[in-house]
Amino acid sequence: MTDIKNLIPQRSPIMMVDELLEAKDDVARCSLTIREDNFFLEPDGAIAEPGVIEHIAQSASAFAGYSAMQAGATEPPVGYIGEIKRFRLNRRPRKGETIVTTITMGPTVGGVTIISGETVSDGETIATTQMKIYVAGE
Amino acid sequence: MLLENKYYKVLRAREEGDGKAVYHIALLPDCNVYQGHFPGQPVCPGVCNIQTIKECASLLTGKELRISSIKQCLLTAVATPTVCPEVDVTVQVSEADGKYSIVATISDERRQYMAFKGEGV
Repeated sequence: MTDIKNLIPQRSPIMMVDELLEAKDDVARCSLTIREDNFFLEPDGAIAEPGVIEHIAQSASAFAGYSAMQAGATEPPVGYIGEIKRFRLNRRPRKGETIVTTITMGPTVGGVTIISGETVSDGETIATTQMKIYVAGE
Repeated sequence: MLLENKYYKVLRAREEGDGKAVYHIALLPDCNVYQGHFPGQPVCPGVCNIQTIKECASLLTGKELRISSIKQCLLTAVATPTVCPEVDVTVQVSEADGKYSIVATISDERRQYMAFKGEGV
């Protein structure tokens, strides 16, 4: 939809979202293809588990960045993970695989937003989690 | 180990028995992750601290653990290699039926940065 660099503040080597595919109301979808130079890629050809968490967090960040841009912001907001809850990982995504994460935004209270994320690959659920994310300066 | 001697370096390890150990680590400011997180404003990615906890738990158990679930992980303060160049990673691991329960904190004498409860296999 938009150049991802306009939506998230993270840069190489730790950009863990390629594209915001769609965003409507409180739901958005983001994709990432695991490439050779992925920061979390391990010698066995799959990424370390925290890489999936970072991908989900940055998907939420891209959604927040998109919403901020719609509201007139020129720089993507810097968000921090405050809490990760009920994270489950079924398997680690492998090099060459494209994962797609659906983010559902919950309410924002005092600058803290509760989100839930589900990551799939070709229809198979790889990970699910909830997170609290807060945006600096809010 | 993905991040050992890249993102952190173990300076001292102290086993306390009952599956508990404290790893005193240095956060390496020259790690390339800070080029992107964030440009001109280095902040420790919370997920790198989770990976560090997992690697310390792996050092303790002598088994390369994988995180299968996280019950709760609180990121209680923003860590940077300048704010906290050295921290203690305290890990407690117990095993049942091939599953490892991991309870861990990252802290220094001033504050706690992370409190983690999860499972590894």
